[in-house]
Amino acid sequence: MGIPRHAWYPVAASEGIGRSPIARRLVEVPLVLYRSTTGEPVALEDRCAHRPVRLSDGVLDGDLIRSTYTGFTYDPTGRCVSVPTQEQVPYGAAVRSFPARDDGSFVWVWIGEAGLAALRTPPDTSVLRTDGWTTFGGALDTAAGIGLLYDNFCDITHVVQLDQAIAPPALTTGPPPPLEVEVSETSVRFWRRFDAAPLAPWNAQVLDLPEDAEHEQVEEGEFVGPGYWVDRWTVEVKGHGDHDGQHTLVFSHALTPVSEKRTRHIWRVSRNFAGSAAAEGTLKPLFEAYYARVGEVLEQMQTILDEEGPRPEVAVAADAAVTHVRRIMQRMVAEELGG
Amino acid sequence: MTQSAAPLMSEFEAAAVVSGLETIAEDVVLLTLTPAAAGHLPAWTPGAHLDLILDEGDGELVRQYSLCGSPADRDRYQVAVLRAPDSRGGSEAVHRLAEGDRVRIRGPRNHFPLVTSPRYVFVAGGIGITPIIPMIEEADAAGADWELHYGGRTTQSMAFRDLLAKYGDRVRLVPQDQVGLLDLQSVLGTPVPDTLVYCCGPEPLLTAVEQRCQSWPSTALHLERFSPKQRADDADTAFEVVLQRSGLTITVEPGVTVFDAMRGAGVSVLGSCLEGICGTCEQGVLEGEVDHRDSVLDEEEQAANDCMMVCVSRSLGPRLVLDA
Repeated sequence: MGIPRHAWYPVAASEGIGRSPIARRLVEVPLVLYRSTTGEPVALEDRCAHRPVRLSDGVLDGDLIRSTYTGFTYDPTGRCVSVPTQEQVPYGAAVRSFPARDDGSFVWVWIGEAGLAALRTPPDTSVLRTDGWTTFGGALDTAAGIGLLYDNFCDITHVVQLDQAIAPPALTTGPPPPLEVEVSETSVRFWRRFDAAPLAPWNAQVLDLPEDAEHEQVEEGEFVGPGYWVDRWTVEVKGHGDHDGQHTLVFSHALTPVSEKRTRHIWRVSRNFAGSAAAEGTLKPLFEAYYARVGEVLEQMQTILDEEGPRPEVAVAADAAVTHVRRIMQRMVAEELGG
Repeated sequence: MTQSAAPLMSEFEAAAVVSGLETIAEDVVLLTLTPAAAGHLPAWTPGAHLDLILDEGDGELVRQYSLCGSPADRDRYQVAVLRAPDSRGGSEAVHRLAEGDRVRIRGPRNHFPLVTSPRYVFVAGGIGITPIIPMIEEADAAGADWELHYGGRTTQSMAFRDLLAKYGDRVRLVPQDQVGLLDLQSVLGTPVPDTLVYCCGPEPLLTAVEQRCQSWPSTALHLERFSPKQRADDADTAFEVVLQRSGLTITVEPGVTVFDAMRGAGVSVLGSCLEGICGTCEQGVLEGEVDHRDSVLDEEEQAANDCMMVCVSRSLGPRLVLDA
């Protein structure tokens, strides 16, 4: 599967980009990222026009970045503004610059046709900055293509197989209720509502509810764009006094497709309940371990694909969301290739 | 609750409020729709269309209209609708809407996508200009070379003239009462390399453009129909359809569509126009040869035989296997 280029991709957490240049890679394009003196994110191709050296090894001088090897200096539009050996700046000397946006949670970069960036919007990440929600997270470099990550997000039934500690008992207490899948040209959303079932011990603990109490639970997943996936797990508590309400965990996944076979995965877990550090102490190790375990399996899948090649897969009814996500990505790639 | 593993498929559907209503040409209204509840609308790309579901008392009317706003605008959708008294009544109902009225919207979906190209020739007839408007914005932003040949009955009948003025001589307006019909011979007579042709308009224009483009590469022409292609009715025969993911085999009798047979077997398949024009019911084909009867796929896509519109298309052989 190819990777669409006409899309906003998250390349770093907002706090990860500052006044020291950092290197990233997006669909094989090496990027150097930094902030201008006014705080705007700058994304340039991370390769000096004079010699094959990384600008990310260079230094900032106000809004400019200078290679510490060649001394070539570039402005935020990528134009070379000075060279150390002559007065005359070589005519047309420049590196590519890319549209970049900071939404307060992630820095997004567009490597497709620059003029089209203004006609598309990065996904809404506001839950990560909304009052009443508490968030923690982490980041992983996974040696697996972005398509494998989406296949994984689209069907969480494997959680039970993968991690007994984190899996909600609702997933195993009976035949799963049918998945409802809602699609549009660019989006796929699915959800299902589980009959009342007990919570996983960690979930009961952070909600301060008895472990054997049963609650209706709702699973949701949403393909928001080629670089962003959101899923949610809501526990609907009734008959427990002050504890009643919709207690939701939102899992946001910012995906940087580094190459066809490598993906940077920044994950965030947000909750609208139990905002204490103690709750985070319970939750964070669980999700760190789970996402690390998922990453290992995905890397293994990529290795098998590399060594043995893809094969037709047996699909099951639960693959409805997978099918639609793959179709959207494939169509984007086909339309960009032209013809 | 009945427990079943079969997923329930649907398209994005929401209540929307008519937040703007503007006459932009003779008998053409521009409708602005904003979601009734808080939240974003799904993103779309040029060429996409939307279902408008209008409550008509004794039932509902579902009509497809191309989105003609900008994909950059995530808070509202815009469609332009020509009052067409001869049609099935959808346009009259839209023209009766007032600001503040509620309608349901479904989609968007896109079977007329703008494929990347260094050069485009856009040909629009009458209200067929609507999908072309965002395409032009996109092509221009991408730095492509493009031209638009836009024909209409009269100048007053042609929507979006003001908006198109900023593009200067890339846009050729051809009002029939002053200059006659679009001169397709001069526009399309000679194939141009690395150029895609996008056309939307009334059936006679589409047919004429299809004929002119026969000397072009087969992938050059993209067109969109809003009324089904006319075809002779053959004597249909029964065939078997294997729905692989559902683990079902069904028989499709003459006079019954694959779509109806799938629904009858309890398989949740999406459908909207049921006339082979909107593309909602597309299904992947794994085996068998399809008798394509839709107006969505072009010749090349039909020949690929890897998908079909199950609301109208059938099987050439005794058996089809679908990825459903």
